[in-house]
Amino acid sequence: MRRVLGIELRRSSALGSALVLLVIGVVALFFAEGIAFSEGWMQLAMTQRLYLALLWPLALAAGAWQARREHRSNVAELFASTPRPRAQQMVPTLGAMALAVVTGYLAVGLAGGLWIVSTARYLPVQTFVVTAVGLLALVAAVWLGLAVGRLLPSVVTAPALAVAGLALLLSIPRATRPRGWLSLVFSPIESMNMPGAYATVPGRVSAAQAVWLAALALTAVLLFAAAGWRLRVAAALPLVVGAALAIMVMPHQNRFVHDAVDPVAQALVCAQGEPPVCLSRVHSGLLAEVTAPAREGLAVLAKLPGAPKTVHEDTTTYFPDRYPPWREDVVLLNVVVGDDGHLEDKSAVLADVVSGAFASPPGCDKPADLADRLAAAYWLIGREPAGVQTADPLEGQTFDPAIMAEAAELWQSLRALPAAEAEARVLALRKDALACTAEDRLMSASTR
Amino acid sequence: MMRTVSAAETAATTHPWAVHAEGLRVRAGRHLAVDGLDLALGTGVHGLLGPNGAGKTTLMRALATVLKPAGGRLTLLGEPVDGRADLRRVRRGLGYLPQQFGFYPRFTVREFVEYMAWLKEMGKPAVPGAVQRAIDRVGLTAKADARMKTLSGGMLRRAGIAQAIVNDPAILLLDEPTVGLDPEQRLEFRELLRDLGVDSCVLVSTHLVEDVVVACTDVVLINEGRLVYQGTPDDLVTRGGSGDAGDSPAERGYSALLRAHRAEAGR
Repeated sequence: MRRVLGIELRRSSALGSALVLLVIGVVALFFAEGIAFSEGWMQLAMTQRLYLALLWPLALAAGAWQARREHRSNVAELFASTPRPRAQQMVPTLGAMALAVVTGYLAVGLAGGLWIVSTARYLPVQTFVVTAVGLLALVAAVWLGLAVGRLLPSVVTAPALAVAGLALLLSIPRATRPRGWLSLVFSPIESMNMPGAYATVPGRVSAAQAVWLAALALTAVLLFAAAGWRLRVAAALPLVVGAALAIMVMPHQNRFVHDAVDPVAQALVCAQGEPPVCLSRVHSGLLAEVTAPAREGLAVLAKLPGAPKTVHEDTTTYFPDRYPPWREDVVLLNVVVGDDGHLEDKSAVLADVVSGAFASPPGCDKPADLADRLAAAYWLIGREPAGVQTADPLEGQTFDPAIMAEAAELWQSLRALPAAEAEARVLALRKDALACTAEDRLMSASTR
Repeated sequence: MMRTVSAAETAATTHPWAVHAEGLRVRAGRHLAVDGLDLALGTGVHGLLGPNGAGKTTLMRALATVLKPAGGRLTLLGEPVDGRADLRRVRRGLGYLPQQFGFYPRFTVREFVEYMAWLKEMGKPAVPGAVQRAIDRVGLTAKADARMKTLSGGMLRRAGIAQAIVNDPAILLLDEPTVGLDPEQRLEFRELLRDLGVDSCVLVSTHLVEDVVVACTDVVLINEGRLVYQGTPDDLVTRGGSGDAGDSPAERGYSALLRAHRAEAGR
């Protein structure tokens, strides 16, 4: 069997299929929408799943293409005279094609992995589960392609199947609306786009998907190996049972994956030494980049009475909003990872930490104005706010240049004041921000 | 003269005939192409002759267990072949070259023959040696690692014979094996046939009466799905007269037998 599998691997379309999946997968991973997986392994696993949108239909087509060989080469007559049962005859082809898609998918993962290997630290078990479900999806697809290709041995079967597969994946969300959870059962790409830093795929979701995909694969094998119509009809049975079982296992709750947060990924990991600088575990590979400027920021803040002594990553997640515990002695730092897996803007950490001291607790009606915060921060640092392209710790967006311009103007006014007056205004801003009573602007007429 | 004694020869024979058909009926589509055929074949090379449409290929396909008999009795290697039988054991002892030899074009000759050995459920340790021997016997040694799609018609036919004989079959069915062979290759093929017929039952379907006379130990002539004649080549030669069609005594014998059979059927 192993020798025959070797022959099949060399001579079937297995090698070509693996190569096509690899090339298309890598191109999609790196060039389709920028690099969405730079934060870590889970993000890579989920992004790979997203691009099953392309690889899944391709695997269907690869199977159908391979299945045409039996028909085209006219071997049925000869093979019918041999003793090996039909089901066994199919094993090398099934094995070679499965091995091909598995290799292709894993090779895409390897290419992505090499990109993040120096920065990604956190490798949860779920990463492997998410990848395994992706592999199962591809194996089911290539086997289904073999089955359909055998039943309809035509040149157009493979391309038609690819188009149909793509259409199916794209139409599942609409077809299952408003039951979003249902589309999670049947579509391996559902909810895999733009994974957040603490994203995870809950085990029950993967379990339900695995059940469905295994049933699909089993049906495909039965269809492929079946000699008569009776077995072909029976092949529908695992499909029905698998769908029912998967629907039972899947939590009947929309946005189940979107809302899922991995608490271990989110838990803080601190750098060695004092003062404490802590990032979430998923970003712990960036501690070396963050610690020095973050501590510099704490040193700048030390001038303030009751100054924060610690920097924590802002691990807020939205929809539903969940905030880290609010403490006045902790500055929350938003970590934004760039395409290369490193900090998007390392030079911004200092200003982010210092301006973080003027942040307000979550749910605050009257938080300090962003331009005010930046002006105060740069006054403390003793440098003009300029050229900073960083992320807004509150909104998760890049600073509006208008806000930066306003901050620079405020900073000028602040500097023009006598030092004691300026310091009083900065202290008042922090006090108001913490108390959630920042009604007055930094440079408003009242001298407090 | 010394020769190797094969296992088949020394094994206790539990069946008198390798192929035994009684009143065999086989359909080709809706038409009964084999209709009440009685035939018994033992070890040796049997040349299957008959005009186009006589049922030669249908008979071959039934003997290859590809077609199920529609009636009568068929026993291969002592085992009954009917709709319910488990054909696995019989098939292990079969070698078959169909008239339309299908193959995987991207496989090399060696790979395809090895693949066929696997389909024939040969023991793993025996396969590599058996594959090489089969390829050597048909004279494709130099082309063993060439892709099937690069072979000429004659080479393909020989590759087809190689896959048929790889498992040293007790019953070897060759449907028009000499198509595409040049005269020299045909001479070599006759040699191979004689060699194969020593310890297995070889049935060769052909239109070339001369091939049968030279290479076969036995002649089987069928027409309209029935056995017309079974005898030795020497006997076939004696059946023809100077008035019969043909360029050789054997061809005249063939024509005479067919004419007589048609006349009888017409009555």
